[in-house]
Amino acid sequence: MKYGRVRKFARREFLKYSAAAATVGAISQGFGGAARAAGDPVNFYAWSAAVDQVKSHVAAFEASTGIKVAYSNNPWAQYREAAITKFVGNAPLDMLWVSDSWLPEWAEAGWIKPVDDFDFLMKYNSDAETFCTDSMTYKGQQYGLTYYTDFMGFMCDEVTLNNAGIGKKPETWDEVTEQALKIKAKGTSEYPVMLALAQESWLIEFMAAMVYSNGGSFTDGNGNALMHHKDDGAVKALQWIVDAVHKHKIVSPGSVETGELTGLKAFASGNHAFALLPKYRMRMLNDPAQSQIAGRCKQILMPRGSGPKGSHATVGWMRFHGMTSYARADKQRAENAARLIEWFGGKADGEYKFQKILFTDIGAGFGVKPLFKDPEVRATYSSYTDINVIEQQQGLARKKDVVTPWFGEWMETNGAAWQKAVLQQSSVEDALKASAEKWDELKKENS
Amino acid sequence: MTRLLPARLADALARRFNYDTRSAMLFIAPVMTVLAVVAVFPIAYSLYLSFFKLKLTRPHRVPFVWFDNYIDLLGDGLFWSSVGRTVYFSVISVTAIAVLAMLIALLLNETFRGRRILSAILLIPWAIPTVANGLMWKWIYDSGYGALNGLLLQLGWIDKYLIWLGDPDKTIPLIANAFVWKEVPLATILILVTMKSIPADLYRAAKVDGANVMQRFVHITLPSLKPGFALVAIYETMMAIRHFDLFFILTEGGPGEASHVSAWHVYAETFRNLSFGTGSALAYMMAIVTFVLAYFIIRTLGRRI
Amino acid sequence: MSTKPAGYRYRERPRLPDLAYKLAIFAASVVLLTYVLAPFAWLVSSSFQTEAEIVSVPPHWIPHEPTLENFEAIFFYDQEEVTYESRSKADPASGGYIPSTAKSLLPAMWNSFKVAIAVVILNLLVGVPAAYAMAKIRFKGRNASVYTILTTRVIPDIALVVPFFLVIKNLGLLDSLWALILTYLAITVPFTVFILVGYFESLPDDLDKAARIDGCSRFQTLTRVFLPLAVPSLVAVILFTFLTSWNEFLLALMFTQTQAAQTLPIIVASFTSDFTISFSFINAAGVVAVIPPVIVAIMFERYIVSGLTAGAVKG
Repeated sequence: MKYGRVRKFARREFLKYSAAAATVGAISQGFGGAARAAGDPVNFYAWSAAVDQVKSHVAAFEASTGIKVAYSNNPWAQYREAAITKFVGNAPLDMLWVSDSWLPEWAEAGWIKPVDDFDFLMKYNSDAETFCTDSMTYKGQQYGLTYYTDFMGFMCDEVTLNNAGIGKKPETWDEVTEQALKIKAKGTSEYPVMLALAQESWLIEFMAAMVYSNGGSFTDGNGNALMHHKDDGAVKALQWIVDAVHKHKIVSPGSVETGELTGLKAFASGNHAFALLPKYRMRMLNDPAQSQIAGRCKQILMPRGSGPKGSHATVGWMRFHGMTSYARADKQRAENAARLIEWFGGKADGEYKFQKILFTDIGAGFGVKPLFKDPEVRATYSSYTDINVIEQQQGLARKKDVVTPWFGEWMETNGAAWQKAVLQQSSVEDALKASAEKWDELKKENS
Repeated sequence: MTRLLPARLADALARRFNYDTRSAMLFIAPVMTVLAVVAVFPIAYSLYLSFFKLKLTRPHRVPFVWFDNYIDLLGDGLFWSSVGRTVYFSVISVTAIAVLAMLIALLLNETFRGRRILSAILLIPWAIPTVANGLMWKWIYDSGYGALNGLLLQLGWIDKYLIWLGDPDKTIPLIANAFVWKEVPLATILILVTMKSIPADLYRAAKVDGANVMQRFVHITLPSLKPGFALVAIYETMMAIRHFDLFFILTEGGPGEASHVSAWHVYAETFRNLSFGTGSALAYMMAIVTFVLAYFIIRTLGRRI
Repeated sequence: MSTKPAGYRYRERPRLPDLAYKLAIFAASVVLLTYVLAPFAWLVSSSFQTEAEIVSVPPHWIPHEPTLENFEAIFFYDQEEVTYESRSKADPASGGYIPSTAKSLLPAMWNSFKVAIAVVILNLLVGVPAAYAMAKIRFKGRNASVYTILTTRVIPDIALVVPFFLVIKNLGLLDSLWALILTYLAITVPFTVFILVGYFESLPDDLDKAARIDGCSRFQTLTRVFLPLAVPSLVAVILFTFLTSWNEFLLALMFTQTQAAQTLPIIVASFTSDFTISFSFINAAGVVAVIPPVIVAIMFERYIVSGLTAGAVKG
């Protein structure tokens, strides 16, 4: 009878469904709360740069040590947000790339852990540039080994300079102004100086380079805001920019929309005579397949600011390989992750292999001083730039003095303030005062 | 369907609900299940977060603060200016989309050779991946060597390259243009579909009565399109208010604060300042506004809801 | 108004408006084509240019030195194990700016396609009955259902990213296409239902009653009577869900990590890496990415544009 059939059917269905539910539950338990076994691969998360170089180096690591690596990457522009989501969501991550600006924030949030207890990692510090090691240190502890490093360089297009009758390259920012005005008068370039002031992660580097070379700083030794001080801070730098845009008209008012990449392309198209760009861009600028000013682009030391404090200092930044708290929780995982960090950030089979292929293939800078003496490296550098200038300038690079747990939040206000000054929506003093006030406010909140 | 359930349950349901209601429940069950499994938790969780002062860089100090996050936001000048910009962006976008979609739908409603190709081509803006689309517009708008400047210069409409995105007054309209370009195909399709359901008899009768094109348009087409407009208005308003990708790729909230809209503010609070509490609070305020708007649009333009 | 018999004007309609009509259509078509295609034409043109040429001032509308290397990198590659010897060196001689993730573009597109098709099918299966019920059946809680579904979409996605991530992670679906399929289903189905409800409501209620009198169950009424009439709106839903899944970026970014599951938008974004960027290459990728959706559109557009003449409704 119909009822009977329904009853039997129902019982079978019920059993089926509950069995299915139990299985699903068991499976997701298995996935979700996976035991951190030592045999698991090292979860290596990076952004999608130098993917093939990383893959080949990972393959060599697996062959050499037998430890498996699960390498994944995400686009650079969204890397930080994706990493934060993974951290908050407790995704399995052992080793990842970290930018120096994020170090305090991630350390405070407890997402990455120091590695100073691994002696085989610490011994590489003797070969590394000081500002690199400093940038990886927070509250006295070191969080990893350098992945790559670079600094802000000052480039000029030799041919444009010669055409305007300028023989000597500029040494101070005032000279830059003079020469730019000459070039502008000649008509070869409407805005001879290329500055990229768009709101993006590069902005702080451009700002810092100008501030440091003008002899200023953002903060003092105690971490209090200094940027609004007339002689010790950023006032001179920002004033130079504002004057360049509006008084001398040697920098385009569109610079607030120009990002580092667009600025690079603009300079490469021969539209400008001078540019503030990261040093590793030299390779692309002198490559005929990518640049219209190939062979004419020369790097010189950062111009000095006027006044006694001005110097050829510039800003240096770096990215490093860090270890997560997830890895740290288990002794074997931490050890494996540390080995991977050594393979990438230190020596692999006795040589600085990764740093070298990164440099020869892509031109990315390295933070290990011995490589400057390597003949292959010297040959590669000389093919497109002057290695002596590079070495000298890198020695003068300073670590950013604004890297703190509240850096990201402060930069929102600071970036907008500088842009407003350039747009003449606010005066230089007011803009820097707003930045300074925000800095002090955040410092107080966070103590 | 009820044959699948145990007999007792089926009987109980049959007694309580009539056939209509039971069918309705059955038909709606799949949708509700999917949403319950995937969508409900995130929505509830972010509401939950909005009541805490949660800053990820201070993970051990997470006080429960009731509505403080909301109150703090309402007192923040940047919040109000970003709301203003969001309104500006949404109004010009949705208006442009509605007008363009209607014009294009009118065109595609007619029969002519090449119409099929045209309607396939129409989908291209929609099909371009967001990142490629954003970068393409960034390129086109570039003041140094963008195609827009190049084109206008060659046409003789300007005599020297202008600043586009870098000019705070032009920023939002330009982003709106890129947004509209990408959204028009969908809006057109929605309006076209509604147009297809207008009975041809209405037009014939009007022609016989002597109505000319304009009168037919105003008295037949427009009113019959109201549900289509409602659909487009609701969807595009929702999309415009929460749109983030183009702002991220083109201007990152700049220059100055010219493109700092509410959606960007949520991103800045959540991911830049790592303040998940205020980010969620802001998102919820935007959600409430969006819902109220949608409700009003449905009541004025929709049919029976 | 007119004292003449009905139909008079009809017969004596002069020829001029006919020509004017055709011209108007033509002009409007040209304007539409320009609006839609102009930026795209620039995209196509720049994808055939080299990096050096793309920054020319004024821009070269037609490439002076066209090159196929962007497309070669996308289509012709070996998917072998990457070793020190086989790594792509970004060597100046070979162009130097084709990102090494270029070879992942086609696999990612295939992932996107699989996800999009699955989402379309599931959307139809799940959304159509619900929309029919909300449009045609009078039941308690009908209005509430509609508004509830709408409410799931009013919160900006950025605020939902982290909770979504937690859900997916606890379901054990990280880095799998199912995460995307499930999530995209949840984010498209509300609007799908909305579109269909609107369209179903425009169909007369009498059909329903007629079918019921003929002995159809609700389900049969839906499948045999309403669905054939609702084809334009179904196509609209298909296109909407396909393209929304195709384009979705934020959630795909958070849920996927490796080539196994990464979709097209992620790979396109990955071309802008820390070190190199090739605008011409990204534009080439954009051109290639447009092709599958356009093909889908061509397959389906005749159901919208030709559509059913409304007269059929009366039958």
